[in-house]
Amino acid sequence: KSPLVFTLIAECHTTKARVSRMVLPHGPVDMPVFMPVGTQGTLKGMLPEQLEELGLQIMLANTYHLGTKPGVEILEKAGGLHKFMNWNNCLLTDSGGFQMVSLLKLAEITEEGVRFQSLNDQKAEVMLTPEHSIEIQNAIGADIVMQLDDVVRTTNPDKARIEESVHRTTRWLDRCLQVHKKPDTQSIFPIVQGTLYEDLREISAKDHIKRHVNGYAIGGLSGGESKDDFWKIVHLCTNILPKDKPRYLMGVGFAEDLVICCALGCDMFDCVFPTRTARFGCALTRTGQLNLKKEKFKKDFKPIDENCPCNTCKNYTRAYLSGVVTVYPSACHLITEHNVVFQMRLMKDIRESIKQDKFPEFVRKFMLDLYPNKEYPTWVRDSLSAVNISLTL
Amino acid sequence: MKFYVESVSKCAQRLGTLSEIDAKPSVSIKTPAVMLHTQGGQIPHITHEVFKLVSRDPQILQIPLAGMHTFKEAMQYYEGTISNFIGSKDSLTCLTLQDPCNITKQGHNSTLKVPIWTKNGKVYYDAKSYMDVVESFKPDIYFLLSDGDTNISSSEKRISKSLSNTVSFYKECLERHRKSQTLANSFVIAPVVGGYKQLAREKFLKSILADVKDVGGFLIDGLHNNGPETEFLEFAEIEPVVKNILNKLPTDKLRVIQGCWNPVNVINLVEMGIDLFDSSYCHILTERSAAMTFAIEPTDQTDTYEINLRDAKYLDDFQPILTGCNCTSCTKYSRAYIHHLLSVHELLGPILVMIHNVYHYLRFFEKIRKCVKSNTLQALQVSITEQFQNHQKTK
Ligand SMILES: [Zn+2]
Ligand SMILES: [Zn+2]
Repeated sequence: KSPLVFTLIAECHTTKARVSRMVLPHGPVDMPVFMPVGTQGTLKGMLPEQLEELGLQIMLANTYHLGTKPGVEILEKAGGLHKFMNWNNCLLTDSGGFQMVSLLKLAEITEEGVRFQSLNDQKAEVMLTPEHSIEIQNAIGADIVMQLDDVVRTTNPDKARIEESVHRTTRWLDRCLQVHKKPDTQSIFPIVQGTLYEDLREISAKDHIKRHVNGYAIGGLSGGESKDDFWKIVHLCTNILPKDKPRYLMGVGFAEDLVICCALGCDMFDCVFPTRTARFGCALTRTGQLNLKKEKFKKDFKPIDENCPCNTCKNYTRAYLSGVVTVYPSACHLITEHNVVFQMRLMKDIRESIKQDKFPEFVRKFMLDLYPNKEYPTWVRDSLSAVNISLTL
Repeated sequence: MKFYVESVSKCAQRLGTLSEIDAKPSVSIKTPAVMLHTQGGQIPHITHEVFKLVSRDPQILQIPLAGMHTFKEAMQYYEGTISNFIGSKDSLTCLTLQDPCNITKQGHNSTLKVPIWTKNGKVYYDAKSYMDVVESFKPDIYFLLSDGDTNISSSEKRISKSLSNTVSFYKECLERHRKSQTLANSFVIAPVVGGYKQLAREKFLKSILADVKDVGGFLIDGLHNNGPETEFLEFAEIEPVVKNILNKLPTDKLRVIQGCWNPVNVINLVEMGIDLFDSSYCHILTERSAAMTFAIEPTDQTDTYEINLRDAKYLDDFQPILTGCNCTSCTKYSRAYIHHLLSVHELLGPILVMIHNVYHYLRFFEKIRKCVKSNTLQALQVSITEQFQNHQKTK
């Protein structure tokens, strides 16, 4: 039995957007989906049962962090992360490679793997190899696991280095698939690399689609490149990746990026932004972000968003929240809940509009709410017109 | 709101009921009871939504002014009550001056005004500005303003100052209360100050007891300066002071004490006739990553009094905090998971510890009421004291 069954439900007749469902060992996931990030086996002060009640079907956890603490031994004793954290729905883990390269300045990448100085007391040199990454991810037991990839920053112009990373990523993919111990319950997704070089992205994607896997990820974006470059690479990748498997765009989570990348044919997204920004008192709405710490909210007795069904909007005013955010940890939970619900509602609205074949109308309305004076950024206009939506209508 | 008490003896355990609450006629609170301590309107770490996983029973939220000072202006424009504003419209509220979890710094007193410590520093309140806040907050219960900055080592001079300030506050606040339409249904609790000097306590009582119409209860104030140290106060030291006060108070009024008393002293105080406490002890414990595990019923499966979940021995301990406990934390999460959350400083760690602590503490008070009813409080006291002493020995 396959650990991932993908069903296409509806396609937009104008753009590349689609609605689909994948069934994983821990339940179904309706796509396009946004996956909030629960780095260390917990999501910013939310209880797993609260998240289940909100209808959250999948969240992400970070292999690098969990491999360090509590570590493979404890996770295995616990019977995997699902049991350890009492989360009954689906999980996805990253490979740990990106975390290392971005968190640790001392990381060095060789053909064998990523060498870095451990954060533990011994400060020992440690090597994360594709085999080791899969070993940790097998212990965590997420429904979807990621291959270890050779990540190069999109701002690095060294094409020879990037070409090397593309081929190495494919070699590492094969090593990951080779040592995967739980192919019946966990799917490994390859990651398309190649930064902003279209020819390299094409090589990477075409190499990966020859492998027998259940879905694909587009990696190495959302790392400081211009939006004009960003959307073109996403567009190119989704043109190559097969239609009958999920496409996961890594590290994307701003509302407008989600809408556009759905139009470009992506199905899965993740980003720390919605939950991280909650801690600083920032609440998300369709017309932009509210920084609740601002003086102007002190006597504003409206909820964050009158149309939002979340507990926070039902029970609390902006005035109250503005006095407690960043002061008490429980205030952070309140904003986190709103932001998680915001992301889920956005994805649901996208799915509904595609099913009714009204996605282009949805996109136009969404962009108008965000840019009421119609001063759309160039990349928004260009990317949407590439999939036949004109904002100037 | 009215308080009904079953006992007429001056200084003995008793059962009572707070009921006939204007806005919530169906609600009644049985005493001895515990108010839920809040900061900024939330039980520390637990939002009102999460609290519903702990208990669905009606509760009194203790709202220390220190954490609410920031809303002073907003509340003047807000139409609802403080319980609406903080997002817990079904709860009762009790506005208090100081936060029992935070040390009230000594020596900042001034004539006819008292300091509180807000997130933006020290702020002084006098009778007028305090009653302005009470009127705009519209709490179900509130403490009158008091200068309770005394403890066992306070000088005569400080105590006498505390007395004169508080007598004056009492008169001014009560006069304002009587004139106020908004506060017509608010339940007034008058502080009793005087440190550890019996004569001072008596003098204070004499000056207020002549006029206690409209006062629903009394707060035994001025025993400590709040904060974690209250947990370790010796009962022998406070006993004569409290006893003397209780012997002079009218028996039909509510008796309140504030602070994070340990469970042994809670029982001792209940035995003397205290009706209302607060849950600050739960927060104090949670802050040091500790969970209550003392046995409430003889059948509880435990051999510890309190455990510290940061201890490395819980790394791979997949048991619940307390076997047999029905709280959300114990039914769904292990010590190992909570240990992990605490050691990586994740927000969920203290949430799970706090859920258990509040659940256990509410259960403890339920047991106390049962014991008072069946006249078996003595046995509970022996059991808890024994567990506490064993815990002190192993520390
Ligand atoms: Zn909301
Ligand atoms: Zn429990």
